[in-house]
Amino acid sequence: MLTYLLRRLGLLGIMLAGLVLITFLVSNVAPSDPAALAAGPDATRDMIATIRHEYGLDQPLPQQFLRYAVDLARLRLGRSIQTGDEVSDDLARYFPATLELVLLSMAISIVVGVPLGMLAAVRRNRPFDHIVRVLAVSGVALPAFWAALLLQLLFCVRLGWLPTSGQLSVATPPPPPVTGMVMVDALLLGQGAVFVEAWQYAMLPAFVLALPSLAAIVRVNRAEMIEVLASDYVTAARAHGISTVRVIGWLALKNAMLPTLAMIGLRFGWTLGSTVLVETVFDWPGIGLYAVNSAIASDFKPVMGVTLLIGSTFMLTNLLIDLAYGWLDPRTRTA
Amino acid sequence: MKRRAFLAGAATGAAGLAAGVTPAWSFEQMGGRRTLVFSGGQPVPVLDPHVKYDWSTRMMQQSIYDALTKYEGNPPHVVPWLAEKWETGPDGLTWTFHLAGNAKFHNGDPLDAEAVRFSYERALKLNKGVAWMLKDHLKPEAIKVVDPRTIQFTLTVPYPAFITFTPLWYIVNPKQVVANTVNDDYGQKFLTDGDAGSGPFKIQRWDGQAVMALEAVPDYWKGWPMGAASRPGGVIYRVIREPAPRKAALERREVDMVTEMTPDDYDELAKMPGIVVPAFTGMTPFTIQMNTQNGPTADLNFRKAMAYAFDYHALLQIENNAAKLMDSPFPNAMTGHVAIPDMPQRNLDLAKQYLAKTKTPQGGIEITYLYVAGLEVERRIGLAVLDSLQPLNIKVNVAAQPWPTLVARGAKPETTPEMVAVYVTPVSTDPDVIAAQYASTAEGQFWHMHHLNDTDLDGMIVKARLETDQAQRMKIYAAIQHRIVALQPCIFGMLEDRKWAMRNYVKGFQFCPVRLTGEADLYTLYAATA
Repeated sequence: MLTYLLRRLGLLGIMLAGLVLITFLVSNVAPSDPAALAAGPDATRDMIATIRHEYGLDQPLPQQFLRYAVDLARLRLGRSIQTGDEVSDDLARYFPATLELVLLSMAISIVVGVPLGMLAAVRRNRPFDHIVRVLAVSGVALPAFWAALLLQLLFCVRLGWLPTSGQLSVATPPPPPVTGMVMVDALLLGQGAVFVEAWQYAMLPAFVLALPSLAAIVRVNRAEMIEVLASDYVTAARAHGISTVRVIGWLALKNAMLPTLAMIGLRFGWTLGSTVLVETVFDWPGIGLYAVNSAIASDFKPVMGVTLLIGSTFMLTNLLIDLAYGWLDPRTRTA
Repeated sequence: MKRRAFLAGAATGAAGLAAGVTPAWSFEQMGGRRTLVFSGGQPVPVLDPHVKYDWSTRMMQQSIYDALTKYEGNPPHVVPWLAEKWETGPDGLTWTFHLAGNAKFHNGDPLDAEAVRFSYERALKLNKGVAWMLKDHLKPEAIKVVDPRTIQFTLTVPYPAFITFTPLWYIVNPKQVVANTVNDDYGQKFLTDGDAGSGPFKIQRWDGQAVMALEAVPDYWKGWPMGAASRPGGVIYRVIREPAPRKAALERREVDMVTEMTPDDYDELAKMPGIVVPAFTGMTPFTIQMNTQNGPTADLNFRKAMAYAFDYHALLQIENNAAKLMDSPFPNAMTGHVAIPDMPQRNLDLAKQYLAKTKTPQGGIEITYLYVAGLEVERRIGLAVLDSLQPLNIKVNVAAQPWPTLVARGAKPETTPEMVAVYVTPVSTDPDVIAAQYASTAEGQFWHMHHLNDTDLDGMIVKARLETDQAQRMKIYAAIQHRIVALQPCIFGMLEDRKWAMRNYVKGFQFCPVRLTGEADLYTLYAATA
């Protein structure tokens, strides 16, 4: 197991190095001039040169990469050319909002997805199953941007039930940061009204973000449940007179959950990546919106920082899943 | 964490969740007074008035800082602000400003001539943001404090445009900047989101990506135009990036005023009860720039053919008639504007005559029209170009690219496509800011994607820039406008109406066309009492 662990960690290191190189190259081959954009439309050549020099963009590309790699080793992600702020500081500021949204969306996916998948399997090929399968396919197929705008139109404009965008009303100061996650901090500090308001703002973006994961969980859980329900030990349990609720809700669900758990782990990384679109539509002040604002300004250090953060989170999640599989099934260690 | 606090929060939270959702929104308040919420799509990453400006940034800068002068009115005029009056020396080199005696910064420090000198010096030495306006004509050592209320600038050459840039050079508190300077950064980190101003508002809460809440200064040295009783408690700028949720927010009264909507959205909003959409002829020319150095558009006859083939009325249709066709390269509100009698109108016979003089007299070629991805109006104009050029047997590839990529592509003649859609808002009322866009020295700037290079025109522009006799200067600018049209580097399109949608209780809105895109003067706005 130790050899397996070391091999996986080695692979992770190579992948991270590859990610750094690719994000750096992609950012630098993009046909735009960050210094010119930061300097503004009226800037003269020498003004642009001033900014280019200040941010080391006048150095040869290999030298820039070396400097970036050295900074990364010190856990520094460079400075935003738009604001001059350290990207690592910005990420620390914006990541909690994204994490809160992702956790909330994952909770929705699990709480809704697992029972739906289970019930669809139990009622296989009946109307309920068909409806759930159509919804599951739609959940995967619907572009997040489009779904977000439609739901916003329905719930915020037509019905007027929810606020359109943002994380809190403009007049409500966010609670002093403890975790940086507004809802959690509001709870911790006993600010119930702020928690309720934050929940209202988070509900719709979290639901939109949850849709693809919810659909995936429903499909996986349904398929696994169908397989488990057809197995001999479930038939035997039924023959022994164990109640249907206990057979389905405990025995079968427990055995069907392993692949579902793996799916949940994988979806965490995907969901983190999907925040870019959802945060843009809902103006959710997280790393997704930060990345979009930076990309529009060709401010590549923040974009690279966000990419590295999401990419490394995704890799770490995969690593943990691989390790869990290796621990559960020794045959995979040599695969 | 206190257990009791957590339980109390959880209980209230649970009750709130059970209660569900809130349907109504009320006025935001600051200090017991109404606060207006303004929404646009552009963040404010840097507030420092000497480092950056664009419409949203300048709107906030003007709310927090003061300048020697200010733009007001339509057509716009430079009016006294921190400076009560000024005079120019007979040589046109010396400008002397006399400051108001009662101006003070938000921290109570008096705003004196030394603060003005420091601010101009800082802007020039940083060589960012507004520096381009004056750096060729003003050296830091040529700014002299005569006495605490008098400041004198000595320019290197007579430069009549000097006064038209002073509204954009904001004054910062030297003491605060010096006290917050880190690693010789001239206070840049501090002023990125810090306040060292004397303006009508001060910062209450700042998140440049999302929400910027400004609190009104009750005893603002200049007073409040709506009177003390109606003065707002503050103003909030909320960034809502996409137009659809921004429109929804106005409908739901989450915000009181929005900008940057599509023409159709404005029309829809104007029909809604309780919402008004004032419209004004803008000062932002929309042109389709043509590459004068490369490809078929390098031939003047081809460019003339394009200009005469284009259906200009399509622009008005796309804008739902909320636009005015250009009759000169200069916008109407610009000093020195003259209508050019032979400005191209659609005339297919003439277009075919010009095309007959080119290497492709029968057409049969494809050209590219490039626009900014996401700008629906520009996309629809591209379709109008496509439709307009069909009679000439010229195909048009309507292509979109993100703004940074488009600008980079347009920086060199070799990579610039035949046509690029461009809006340019002049930053001042001086005609030089528009004329200079056609000078070869503007090569590399986004408004010079036509890459025009005409020695005669260059000479006229330099001559006009330094001419101190106003009548003579305007004559040269008239000639410049004729020359530009003759060279046809662009299809001269339209001046879009500038619009804002607001609730009908929002009062005090004052339009000034020289403000950028969605920029509004927040100082004059207030909410009427019922």
